[in-house]
Amino acid sequence: MKKTELFEPGLTERLSREREKDWRKNLRREISAQKRLTIPRHKMPEQPPAQRIRNFLEVNLGYSLEMAKEEAQRCLDCGNPGCVAGCPVAIDIPTFIKYIEAGELDKALDKIRETNGLPAICGRVCPQEVQCEKNCNLVKAGKEPVAIGHLERFVADYLSLRSELNIEPGCVNSSRGKIAVVGSGPSGLTVAADLARLGYQVTVFEALHVPGGVLAYGIPEFRLPREILHSEINFIRSLGVEIKTNFIVGKTASPSDLREAGYSAFFLGTGAGLPGFMNIPGENLLGVYSANEYLTRVNLMKAFRFPDFDTPAPAARKVAVIGGGNVAMDAVRTALRLGAAEAVIYYRRSRAEMPARVEEIRHAEEEGVVFNFLTVPVRFLGDEKGRLRGMVLQRLTLGEPDASGRPRPVPVPGSEFEVEVDLAVVAIGQSPNPLLVKQVDGLKLGRWGNVEVDSETMASSLPGVYAGGDAVRGGATVILAMGDGRRAAKAIDKFLRKC
Amino acid sequence: MNRIILNERLVPNIFHLVVEAPEIASSARPGQFVMVIPDEKGERIPLNVADWDKSKGTIDLVFMNLGVSTRKLAGFKTGDFLEGVAGPLGRPAEVVDFGQVLLVGGCYGLAGLYPLARELKERGNQILFLAEARSRAYIYWENRIRKVTDEFLTAFRADCFSSDKDLEEIILGLKSWKPQLSRVVVMGCSYLLFTVSEITRKIGLKTRVNLNPLMVDGTGMCGACRVTVHGKTYFACVDGPEFDGHGVDWQEYFSRRKAFLSQEELALVHLVKKLDSQE
Ligand SMILES: Cc1cc2nc3c(=O)[nH]c(=O)nc-3n(C[C@H](O)[C@H](O)[C@H](O)COP(=O)(O)OP(=O)(O)OC[C@H]3O[C@@H](n4cnc5c(N)ncnc54)[C@H](O)[C@@H]3O)c2cc1C
Ligand SMILES: Cc1cc2nc3c(=O)[nH]c(=O)nc-3n(C[C@H](O)[C@H](O)[C@H](O)COP(=O)(O)OP(=O)(O)OC[C@H]3O[C@@H](n4cnc5c(N)ncnc54)[C@H](O)[C@@H]3O)c2cc1C
Ligand code: SF4
Ligand code: SF4
Ligand code: FES
Repeated sequence: MKKTELFEPGLTERLSREREKDWRKNLRREISAQKRLTIPRHKMPEQPPAQRIRNFLEVNLGYSLEMAKEEAQRCLDCGNPGCVAGCPVAIDIPTFIKYIEAGELDKALDKIRETNGLPAICGRVCPQEVQCEKNCNLVKAGKEPVAIGHLERFVADYLSLRSELNIEPGCVNSSRGKIAVVGSGPSGLTVAADLARLGYQVTVFEALHVPGGVLAYGIPEFRLPREILHSEINFIRSLGVEIKTNFIVGKTASPSDLREAGYSAFFLGTGAGLPGFMNIPGENLLGVYSANEYLTRVNLMKAFRFPDFDTPAPAARKVAVIGGGNVAMDAVRTALRLGAAEAVIYYRRSRAEMPARVEEIRHAEEEGVVFNFLTVPVRFLGDEKGRLRGMVLQRLTLGEPDASGRPRPVPVPGSEFEVEVDLAVVAIGQSPNPLLVKQVDGLKLGRWGNVEVDSETMASSLPGVYAGGDAVRGGATVILAMGDGRRAAKAIDKFLRKC
Repeated sequence: MNRIILNERLVPNIFHLVVEAPEIASSARPGQFVMVIPDEKGERIPLNVADWDKSKGTIDLVFMNLGVSTRKLAGFKTGDFLEGVAGPLGRPAEVVDFGQVLLVGGCYGLAGLYPLARELKERGNQILFLAEARSRAYIYWENRIRKVTDEFLTAFRADCFSSDKDLEEIILGLKSWKPQLSRVVVMGCSYLLFTVSEITRKIGLKTRVNLNPLMVDGTGMCGACRVTVHGKTYFACVDGPEFDGHGVDWQEYFSRRKAFLSQEELALVHLVKKLDSQE
């Protein structure tokens, strides 16, 4: 898995140095560990399901200051904090949490920002249950983990609402070299922020008209309000990063044009934007959408505010979403909010294998989404006008584990059945966006069109060209993309110092 | 944001915009398109690049006034700003030595084919340009096109369907007295693309059509633009927009174009009401 030491040699010493400071010792003494263990985890306040399925406002309402402080008290300030090892960017979690307990929120935010440029986002979308919170020592004590994600989000929100504290003026020294970052998703934004801090002149090129990558076009507003995204992006701009939207590298200008324009290093954070289809009959019927199209219409183009905004979203009563990841959960919950009477997930494995964040699955269930496991469509059915009217599904059982280590779904003979649907959303995964990477001569690609890189430096087969995030990993996570960005920034700095 | 240098009405329902977009102006190739966002609430719509001026840093767009987005575009004045223009997108059209090429353009396709005509001509090809329109009053850029072509022909239709015969006569006629005619490229409304393909299919004349399916991003990310050609699914924005007209699954193509018909009407009514209330 991820090695935190990769980013930070000497991390352990640094953590313990912080921990031995007097204010921390005093804070530990104030409340006994026994007492701390008796405080129950604070539930995230939420919009009630019946209300939230009629709007696109955020489901999670956020902790109050008081709740955050109490939740912070649950943290034992461990000498050997499992949480940090579980975080792909190795945030000094106990220190930031203890700052919350002490009421020093700006210091808490500074601490997080040392290693994570997008805390309001990660606090919301990280799969904490398999990362930081999974490794929280409270779990070993038989308790629920500290709500690290909720606290991270709290700090970032609280300060961005209260003041302009989060704007650090950038100081760019153009003599250090110009860097082109392709793609403004979390990996690109992280490289850009890190290099700008080191004094490089960084330009981020984004194909779409809004920066943010999946954060802007994929993840719905009810999980990530756009003001939050924009304020995080403004923070990165304030470091001196220039973001050029509507600029498709490989089309608007080629990488060699950019080299001629003086860019001496490149980071490809182009993401996994290519939607996968199942290649089954009827998939091009009117009414069958990729999750990317469905979510882009709604999130990037704001179809949920049609006709005030010009882009429409397909209207439907019976919606089927195929897949079991975050993308599928986002699509099915979006369908409910757009007025679907019935919104059903069809997933080919069982509940236990669903890759979506647990919170999303729970929220979907509360909102009335129906889950059908071990089923897969084999054919879409259309009417005489080419409109989707139904689909034929097949039941599966779980067999031997496949290459991914998960049990392979095996079709049950004779188990086919038909359902009526008027909208189907295919959310079975995305592969790396080929638009640019296939055009670059000499760039070594893997089997799925992913850019091959050195896992420590994120260097591609071409000197001066680095890559990370979904372009390298296929569909992964925000925080892994950011971790890649962080490593690439270090390597790019080294590369430019040498040449 | 892109500044509008000029907005003129060419014929009753077709407009010509000149827009500042220096990077696009220096990389555009014939057959490519841009995604245009009229204003901050606007849709992303694809429009062909009808010409470009590298030194001035401008591109030319020619569009037919149809629905909400194009109506918004038609209303812009010199000096106004478009929310955004991204491109050039799509594969450029092939420009090699074909010998004789027939370009068939209808509505916006007259302008859309202009850069292709010019570059094919520069390569030494002989260009026959067939402009298809409702009547002479709907033909624009004739002089401009004549300058870069060898022959300029027209086909008019009194109503929607009566032009088929003329089109067919002209195209079949050409083939019989111009034996080196090696390919046809068609741009314009879907109906024209289909009709020409059906005509040339009869004589096995290679025909490339510029499909115009619905698009959202235009960069290969959503699949809204998928079309079936020779039994295989393609994304028109990255694999096209030019395809073999004899391989297109036209039935699927026409049905997919209608995906949002009722919403498009609703949007137009909404815009018209808004404009009325502003007056
Ligand atoms: C619907 C959805 C929900 C998700 N939910 C979660 C979640 O809850 N938690 C989580 O951790 N992860 C989630 N993910 C995954 C996560 O969003 C991605 O792993 C992450 O965004 C990848 O970041 P990236 O920097 O690699 O690129 P992306 O975010 O994919 O951004 C790439 C950007 O590059 C641009 N681009 C591509 N080619 C070019 C070019 N040639 N020139 C200019 N620009 C270009 C694209 O337009 C895009 O904006 C979700 C993904 C989706 C689709
Ligand atoms: C690659 C590509 C290049 C294009 N180049 C140009 C161009 O250079 N100039 C130009 O004018 N258009 C061009 N188009 C078509 C253009 O994108 C649409 O006309 C535009 O999106 C209409 O938007 P709207 O909001 O004004 O109308 P909408 O509200 O989307 O549509 C209004 C009505 O017109 C119908 N309609 C929309 N588009 C077409 C069409 N192409 N043919 C027939 N009926 C249609 C709709 O079904 C609807 O009934 C191109 C399309 C593609 C895919
Ligand atoms: S960045 Fe993600 S994994 Fe790291 S502490 Fe925050 S929520 Fe946990
Ligand atoms: S492991 Fe849990 S209790 Fe220990 S420091 Fe980390 S968050 Fe606090
Ligand atoms: S328009 Fe989205 S893939 Fe072509």
